Amino acid sequence: MVGLEHYLGLAGALFVIGIFGLFLNRKNVIILLMSIELMLLSVNINLVAFSSYLGDMVGQVFTLFVLTVAAAEAAIGLAILVSFFRNRGTIAVEDVNVMKG
Amino acid sequence: MATDLQTILPELILAVYAMLALVGAVYTGKDNLTGPITWLTAGLMAVLALWIGTGSAGSTQAFGGMFLSDAYARFAKVAILIAGAAVLLSGQEAVARRGLGRFEYPLLIALATVGMMMMVSAGDLMSLYLGLELQSLALYVVAAMNRDSVKSTEAGMKYFVLGALSSGLLLYGASLTYGYAGTTLFSGIIGAATGGEISLGLLIGLVFVSAGLAFKISAVPFHMWTPDVYEGAPTPVTAFFATAPKLAAMGLFARVLFDAFGGAVGDWQQIISLMAILSMALGAVAAIGQTNIKRLMAYSSISHMGFALMGLSAGTALGVQAMLVYMAIYLTMNVGTFAFIMSMERDGKPVTEIASLNQFAKGEPLKALAMLVLLFSLAGVPPMVGFFGKLYVLQAAVDAGLTWLAIGGVIASVISAFYYLRIVYFMYFGQTEGQAQAPMSPAAWVALMGSAAIMVLGVVNLFGIETAAAQAAQALVN
Amino acid sequence: MTVADFAFYAFAVTTLVGGLFTVLARNPVHSVLWLIMAFIGSAGLFVVLGAEFLAMLLMIVYVGAVAVLFLFVVMMLDVDFAELKAGMAKYMPLALLIAVVLLMQMGMIYGTWQFADGAEAARRAVTPDMTEVENTAALGQLIYDDYFLLFQLSGLVLLVAMIGAIVLTLRHRKDIKRQDVLAQMYRDPAKALELVDVKPGQGL
Repeated sequence: MVGLEHYLGLAGALFVIGIFGLFLNRKNVIILLMSIELMLLSVNINLVAFSSYLGDMVGQVFTLFVLTVAAAEAAIGLAILVSFFRNRGTIAVEDVNVMKG
Repeated sequence: MATDLQTILPELILAVYAMLALVGAVYTGKDNLTGPITWLTAGLMAVLALWIGTGSAGSTQAFGGMFLSDAYARFAKVAILIAGAAVLLSGQEAVARRGLGRFEYPLLIALATVGMMMMVSAGDLMSLYLGLELQSLALYVVAAMNRDSVKSTEAGMKYFVLGALSSGLLLYGASLTYGYAGTTLFSGIIGAATGGEISLGLLIGLVFVSAGLAFKISAVPFHMWTPDVYEGAPTPVTAFFATAPKLAAMGLFARVLFDAFGGAVGDWQQIISLMAILSMALGAVAAIGQTNIKRLMAYSSISHMGFALMGLSAGTALGVQAMLVYMAIYLTMNVGTFAFIMSMERDGKPVTEIASLNQFAKGEPLKALAMLVLLFSLAGVPPMVGFFGKLYVLQAAVDAGLTWLAIGGVIASVISAFYYLRIVYFMYFGQTEGQAQAPMSPAAWVALMGSAAIMVLGVVNLFGIETAAAQAAQALVN
Repeated sequence: MTVADFAFYAFAVTTLVGGLFTVLARNPVHSVLWLIMAFIGSAGLFVVLGAEFLAMLLMIVYVGAVAVLFLFVVMMLDVDFAELKAGMAKYMPLALLIAVVLLMQMGMIYGTWQFADGAEAARRAVTPDMTEVENTAALGQLIYDDYFLLFQLSGLVLLVAMIGAIVLTLRHRKDIKRQDVLAQMYRDPAKALELVDVKPGQGL
């Protein structure tokens, strides 16, 4: 059986890819949302790996709730995105000059 | 189970009420019911605040330690409920005037309040996360509530993306903490996080959790969403953002730091004091050039959060007490100030430019006087109550040996006094006429005058919140 | 290398490649497809780790619903994605720098993971033997019992998501005809129909 560190390293790399994606695609909100999904996925891998190696079910329970909340979060994010698109005709956050920021 | 349910009864009542009202409104009057539902929600929140405030003393746990009800949680809940009710009522008319009078608005606020009450009572990483998300998701929606406005949806978008990022950071930290300690209960984590040397994995977990929470209280360097969201969101929503959620996030922050990482004060003290000094400085300097009063209030709140963090960074019971007193005063001031900002208009349209307040005192001397008191208090000018709030945290910082932080706070406070006084100057001695008016509903008038009166009359004994805050701090730090 | 080891490496590579191309792909539809691949890879990892229920959940809820929701939105919005991607090269150096720094830090921590001394004793729900209680049943016993409060709270979170989506996107159109079921049911045939006795050869 591979060591716990392998899983943690994988989750860490996936988390970094998520953050990398956030900075790389600052303009494209859909990819931003997917990057956030990747970050949460890496958290889930962490939790399940800990749960498995500790022999404790709580990690899996935590994962279950993270999955639930992440789905709710995606739904709200896409809803906001759709109403933003209806107003602006674009989804590029950085193009927006209505507010300086 | 029965005693568990009894412990969470206030949250249960509010959540069940929100669901029943939702069903009722959908099947009957829809948006015509917004007014009554707003009053009902605010009334219920006030009743719950009274009930929690006068209820049983002592500490109880429910659901195996996941939910804690102690003096600390009760103090925070009373403040959250009162602030929420006050903002709902004083903003009701402003909401209707902006065409946002949808019945979901008060109910989303009620559900967000349930989340905030869970946050300050959390005794477990999972209940922390779910409470936080319940609050955040409801707030993302109300920020974008004015769905036909570019500014509002953009504010919702920015708030959402950065908020989701912060949840991700927090969660990653939580997963490492769980992995190290083998449990998600705070009472278990504190056992693993003591003994001088803290392990590297747990330290990284602590850093990620702190970063995630710093986003929620908009402390520097995680503050960048605040000005945009404050400016873009509809003003009554901004008023809500500036009050209850700030206290809830701060309360949660203190809960995590003391209940879960209380054995590693030395490790987080540096992080928190650094965030405190940066927030105070940036909030003071960046607000100077602002022409929009909502953006100005955003920087003002960043600066105030810096002061509250200063109390926290002391790492003592006195520090927590100072933080709680400071936050209570901050909430009162902001409820009054935003009651005024919400009602600002010119030719029947809402305005937020500071310049429009020129010579405001000529037209409405009483309201201008109330604003003067509130702005002096925000700036921390003696003898207003805001001054004593600042004095409290400075004292806590000095007692804990953080003299450099206290000195930084004093300097930042002096700088920030400039922009508060500038508004007063405009109102009384402005050059051209700004033509702003502030017609107010009775509820907003009461909120403005009441909070201004508290800022003056509270000097006598701060209405006894010191003792309540001291008990709360004792319950948290032991 | 055992089968389990091989499975780990296969799924790990799938997950990482999927994740990487999600953020790098030029076409957002491809991004979603790569994201699905990352989900499938991690579902495989969950099976290897003995969390079958979560693996199924990931497949059904994420691949089945969330990813499809993403696809839906990508296709619904008429966005010129080529233009959006133009700025990508600009942020590349900064993003790479941040990624490398973070990755190095993570590598330092995970060299060897140390559990706390009391971690074994602090466990609240020791995993039961797989041959006695299945993973799904064990999870169910926890969330409907010890973690009942959190289960209900997550229900509230979903309710808020539902309210939010409706508030933000549902528009009640006034220019279309709607079916009114009650009006249909309460229609009185006596009023709607008239029997006319038509005489032969005359018409109406």
